[in-house]
Amino acid sequence: MAITYEAVKSLTADLYEWSLKRIPDDAKEALDRAAAAETNESARKVLSMMRRSADRAENTDRFVCSDSGVPVYFIKVGTQARFEGDVKRAISDGFAHLVETIQPPLLKHVTNPLTNERSYAGKDMPMVSWDMIDGADYIDITCAPKALGSGRWASLEIFSFPTLEEIEAYILDVIVKTAAQQCPPVTIGVGIGGTFDYCTKIAKLATLRPLGTPSSEPVLAAMEERLLKAVNKLGFGPMGTGGDTTALAIHIEYASGHGFTPVAVCFNCWINRRTRARLYNDGRIERIGGPWRRII
Amino acid sequence: MATHHLTLPVDVEAIRALRLGDLVTVDGEIVATGGLPTHKRIIEAMEGKRELPFPLEGAGFFHLPSYSRDTDQGFEIVYINPTTSTRFNPLMPKIIRHYGLRIVCGKGGLDAECARAMQEVGCVYLSILGGGATLHTDAIKEVTGVGWSDLVTHYRLVKMRVEDLGPLTVGIDAHGNNGYDQLESRARERLPALMEELRVARERAAAGGGSDPAA
Ligand code: SF4
Repeated sequence: MAITYEAVKSLTADLYEWSLKRIPDDAKEALDRAAAAETNESARKVLSMMRRSADRAENTDRFVCSDSGVPVYFIKVGTQARFEGDVKRAISDGFAHLVETIQPPLLKHVTNPLTNERSYAGKDMPMVSWDMIDGADYIDITCAPKALGSGRWASLEIFSFPTLEEIEAYILDVIVKTAAQQCPPVTIGVGIGGTFDYCTKIAKLATLRPLGTPSSEPVLAAMEERLLKAVNKLGFGPMGTGGDTTALAIHIEYASGHGFTPVAVCFNCWINRRTRARLYNDGRIERIGGPWRRII
Repeated sequence: MATHHLTLPVDVEAIRALRLGDLVTVDGEIVATGGLPTHKRIIEAMEGKRELPFPLEGAGFFHLPSYSRDTDQGFEIVYINPTTSTRFNPLMPKIIRHYGLRIVCGKGGLDAECARAMQEVGCVYLSILGGGATLHTDAIKEVTGVGWSDLVTHYRLVKMRVEDLGPLTVGIDAHGNNGYDQLESRARERLPALMEELRVARERAAAGGGSDPAA
């Protein structure tokens, strides 16, 4: 028994499609909670429109948003996983197959940065990050398509031995600069420490945690709690209508590093695209979306 | 906050009556595109260098690209959804002034110069939900014109008749009030107080006090 080319090809494509047509259950619940607590009437109207939009997409098998993003996957390979066929190529073949078959069809979002030409395929697409899991007889795949609005406001700065105060001031500053351009209420992912590349990766992974699950590190859990309150007092509100709901969650990850400390801040927009599944040696597929499991 | 129902084409008095934060539902004919090349072509048309496919005077101009296809029955819009208007900031003031647009709609707002142009001619900016593809698409009743078909479909200039599009939120009114600028400056004004709240919460957490139930 082994994980086959065909299985990887169809699962990576399916994860993409699911992420476009259905927002995660925890995002629905967070929107409902926000709508119940929101004091601004326009904001409440926008939140309820968001829920209607998500429900109609789900019920009619259509996209929640037309910006279907570019394909981004995080894959962790179990050390006991066995493979049959070119499973790495299966991911790009799966995306190509999705482009040909998905209904409704996708817009061309894959952009050559040197010419701004758009297409369905391009250098390094899909973007896949690889990791390993000791002992597992499966591969664990997260699909998180990145759209323009949710992608372009991310930011990174490298500090030297910063205080928590400096880090928090920087995070708030990044959020103020976005000025509600990234379709709030957003999920904010923050990475602290590591190196330039590692810090951005953990910030991105932080946005993929089930909404509102606190960090297991008490210092960060407390930081998440106070920053979420502060962000929601900035007053941007859903789609910039004003109100109390600028962010649904802020998730922070950290890594040890040297004395230079990168801080990365990135966003997931209100539709919260992220799907995840495990594919086992015996061909079984386990969709993961329920209880929080660490993905880094 | 008031709720309005506008039927396009709309006269300037109805536009000047709108206030920041008001909710607006739109009926009638709108013009939509999502392309920078399209905006550049409109500027060329203003300069007499090319023809517009249809007039834009007094139009409702929507940053609302579509996935569309040419079928035997004509041009079919499969889905629409807004794009970020700020990308078009440098070009919009000219377009707003030249054609006397009544509505610009999209997501993310426009800058101060655009707001000035809107005040001069009597035009508002309406914010439309990003991620509302099904709701917006279901509001389209008919495609009434397609221009510049040599461009990819989401860049073409498309005229369509909509019913009950919205609710949309007035993000910039016709009196020079830019809700987006106000939000940003208000957020900046609040920063010092929020940094102070964060400091107090940090000290409490460091002392092992946990969260503040009253906060
Ligand atoms: S930021 Fe998200 S909801 Fe907004 S337009 Fe982009 S994909 Fe859609």
